[in-house]
Amino acid sequence: MKRSRTASLILMGSAPLLLTACSHEPDAVRSGLYTSVDACVAAGNDATACSDAYVKAAQEAKTDAPAFSTARECEARYGELACVERTVGGHGYFMPMMAGFMLAQAMRGNTATGAFRSAAAFRDNANGWHQAPWQNQGPPNQNPPAGGGYGSGGGYAGGFRSGSGRALETVTSAPDRAVTTVGRGGFGSGGAARGMGFHGFGG
Amino acid sequence: MQRIAITERADWRAQAAAYGFGFHTIDAAPYWDEAAYYAFTLREIERAIEAPTQTLHQMALDLVDRIVGDERRLRQLAIPEAYWDWIAHSWKTRTPHLYGRMDLAYDGIGAAKLYELNYDTPTSLYEAAFFQWQWLEDRIADGTLPRDADQFNAIQERLVERFAALAPRITQPFHFSAVRDSIEDQGTIAYLRDCALQAGIRCGTLAIEDIGISVDGRFTDLDDRAIGCLFKLYPLEDLFAEAFGRYLPRSGLQLIEPPWKAILSNKGILPLLWEAHPGHPNLLPARLDDGSPLPPGWVRKPLHSREGANVTLRLADGHEVATPGPYAGPCIIQACHPLTAFAGQYPLVGSWVVGDAACGMGLREDRTLVTQDSARFVPHAIIA
Repeated sequence: MKRSRTASLILMGSAPLLLTACSHEPDAVRSGLYTSVDACVAAGNDATACSDAYVKAAQEAKTDAPAFSTARECEARYGELACVERTVGGHGYFMPMMAGFMLAQAMRGNTATGAFRSAAAFRDNANGWHQAPWQNQGPPNQNPPAGGGYGSGGGYAGGFRSGSGRALETVTSAPDRAVTTVGRGGFGSGGAARGMGFHGFGG
Repeated sequence: MQRIAITERADWRAQAAAYGFGFHTIDAAPYWDEAAYYAFTLREIERAIEAPTQTLHQMALDLVDRIVGDERRLRQLAIPEAYWDWIAHSWKTRTPHLYGRMDLAYDGIGAAKLYELNYDTPTSLYEAAFFQWQWLEDRIADGTLPRDADQFNAIQERLVERFAALAPRITQPFHFSAVRDSIEDQGTIAYLRDCALQAGIRCGTLAIEDIGISVDGRFTDLDDRAIGCLFKLYPLEDLFAEAFGRYLPRSGLQLIEPPWKAILSNKGILPLLWEAHPGHPNLLPARLDDGSPLPPGWVRKPLHSREGANVTLRLADGHEVATPGPYAGPCIIQACHPLTAFAGQYPLVGSWVVGDAACGMGLREDRTLVTQDSARFVPHAIIA
């Protein structure tokens, strides 16, 4: 058979199906990338968890940030103002400063259940985000399950080594909402310019 | 390949309304047209359409590899220099792509010939993948077509599979975007979003005009969230040229189709394909236009025109057909291989690639040799 076995619509049809059964969204874990403790709290996380995660990530960043032997290499990847010199294991390295942190928590409804995990996050000069390895919080073996907020490696991550020798992961969740939009309408002018009609821009 | 006139389904307009097909009639002219269908044999589909589509797709991808680092080629394709590194990076990291459609001239006799690749903003997707599929099911059920009739159309199944495969690499929030006032483009993104939801991906829609820019150079949605991934049914070359374009390379935005599609969605790829594979049975001779008068037997097309606009076709006998349109800029010329008429109509095959798999087709026929936005979508069936 050369055609689809079935073809149904869930939103476009006049009798849309309920979406709940279709969502693979792991609702048991809330995981996010935050650029400040305030943004972390504003996203609905517990204030203590946010500040603990921030402190732990900042400590981790001192040893697990990507390490470069020259300032130039570090700045080429992370931008001119983002790099500092640090000593790790008796060696001097140039490392980007932490630009954000990850917090992942197992949730039941809106309540965190038990431990959280945190990680330092770094932003490269193309605005890509990368995280250091997850750090567990709380008693061992009570880690929230992984999932949802971050992906595994790929992309930029392959080229990086953290100071501790562990590879960074690419962060696929967008940073928090602490964003100030300064303009809109910078896309879409082609329509007016061409007298775009019904057909739009598809071809 | 035959064109067969049949009666329409009595209730197709009601079905169109029920299934959200809002653009079946355009300015009082029919767009979806089921007063006829095209019948193919399985052999025609598999040997003349599916296999060449797969081959041409691979040839096109192979070319991207050779062009991304070649300044002269990028200049020939009129891609602005500010975007070269970004495009090259997106290719090097294989930023995922979703789909494309190639337009093939095919008449059931000769080899299918590639007219062009619509690899950035292809439309006629919903009608090919969904409404055409429904048509076949109905026509088998009502006995108009034999029980073993089939269709080259696994497009929707492949789309849902493709979204499921992309899911771990899609950054949230994820929006489908098109210009606000195009019913057709809005219908196409509504359909794609439906497929993404079926694959379990959380996603919304956003008008291209509503995209914002943040103080630190990220693109934002109407909730002031930094957009993670944007599917844009809007030409890459327009994004490049417009006010916010300069923020793209450093914004961290994941785009579908990805930046490297700028190389393939450009008619400048046609001379490069011919140069790499001269004499290939599914390619037409093509070269960059040097501005000299169009010789008989050649067609001139702008690098970026869509919907058959601004095309000049000069038949071997010197007769010329030119279509109007808003596109200017550099052009290519391509050997003229006129469509074959079936009952006075000129059908063009749109052969779909989802991910990297040839998986279906839709035919659009027009009354003229150049298929334009007046073309009607006519369903097809595979009849043993």
